[in-house]
Amino acid sequence: MNDALNYVNTEGLKFFGKVNASISHELKNILAIISETAGFLNDLTELAKQGKELKLSLLENCSTSIVEEIQRGFTTIKQMNRFSHSVDVPVTDIDLVETLDLMAGLSGFLSSAANVSIENKCTESKTIRTCPFLLQNFIYQILCFVYESTGPTGEIRIHLLEEKEKGVLLTLFSSAQMSVEKFPDEKMKKTAGILGIEFKTNHSFYEINLLIPYAVETITQLDPNG
Amino acid sequence: MDKNEKIHLLMVDDEVKFLHTITERLKLKFFEITSATNGEEAIAAAKKGQFDVAVIDLQMPGIDGVQVLEILKKNHKYLEVLILSGHATIETAVTCTKLGAFKVLEKPCDFDKLVEAIKEAYETRLKKKFQHDEDRMKKIQSLVLGQSPLGILKELAKMDEAEK
Repeated sequence: MNDALNYVNTEGLKFFGKVNASISHELKNILAIISETAGFLNDLTELAKQGKELKLSLLENCSTSIVEEIQRGFTTIKQMNRFSHSVDVPVTDIDLVETLDLMAGLSGFLSSAANVSIENKCTESKTIRTCPFLLQNFIYQILCFVYESTGPTGEIRIHLLEEKEKGVLLTLFSSAQMSVEKFPDEKMKKTAGILGIEFKTNHSFYEINLLIPYAVETITQLDPNG
Repeated sequence: MDKNEKIHLLMVDDEVKFLHTITERLKLKFFEITSATNGEEAIAAAKKGQFDVAVIDLQMPGIDGVQVLEILKKNHKYLEVLILSGHATIETAVTCTKLGAFKVLEKPCDFDKLVEAIKEAYETRLKKKFQHDEDRMKKIQSLVLGQSPLGILKELAKMDEAEK
């Protein structure tokens, strides 16, 4: 087992656990809302039985809330399923926008998460040959780093632009000043190194620039079928 | 029921829909409720209002439930605090209990159990408060014996200062 593979396994397991914990927390919140709303409907029914006036608008609000929470649950389970399947193959072609969207969604369950929007300026959908699970881990780390500064009320804009034949230039704009002296940390550097991701030096208090290559030789180390 | 006869509750949760629904349900059980969607709001509300019991969600952005518990217990001597947690671990329960939480309940929590816990917390608050008032009365009575009027006033001022 080579170093990179060892790193993916140990760090990956931690990442997998963290994401799963946040998903289960989200699902519990959804169930708590559904459970309380159903309970409230029971309370209203009991009051109606006692001859109290039953407001139809309350019933309507309850049913709307239940439908919305079920939809939220479906979206969460869909994201969980996509995330779980990211370990199916060690190296494959992925759509970068889809991966960013998934990580924005999954990291959004964290209480510190800011609002993330993705702006794709690439002329066509660009596929990246990479280790999908490790790339997800990397994006999640970066988003968590930015959340530390923005907090839940902040905004992050992710901007994608083609950079000739090299890859996709990813820029994260933060609404709050980041502590760039802590960026990138050792873990980010190591993950980026395996994925061939380059940290552009022009990052600032409000902006992080990363070059994600279309493909990288070293990634084959992670694929036993190479 | 008169507003003053109700148990005054402070409900704190960042999950707005949950907060809204549980607040509506508790109102039907004749509680007087103020809700807050984050720790800062909760601390500010506690400063303004006289609450009997606070129900606080553990995981919140900004000041989390543990920090809110610590601040509320420090500033409001007789306020009892119930903690609601999506994933209550033994460590969390121990930390919260050490900080003075009355109970840690897992979320989603059975509504009747929550109501029961709030009532128990309220009873505990009353017992502590009555005990304190009784002790204070005994102290005042003992002062009256064998003290000059000025001495009594000085002692009362000291007691009052300690209460602040």
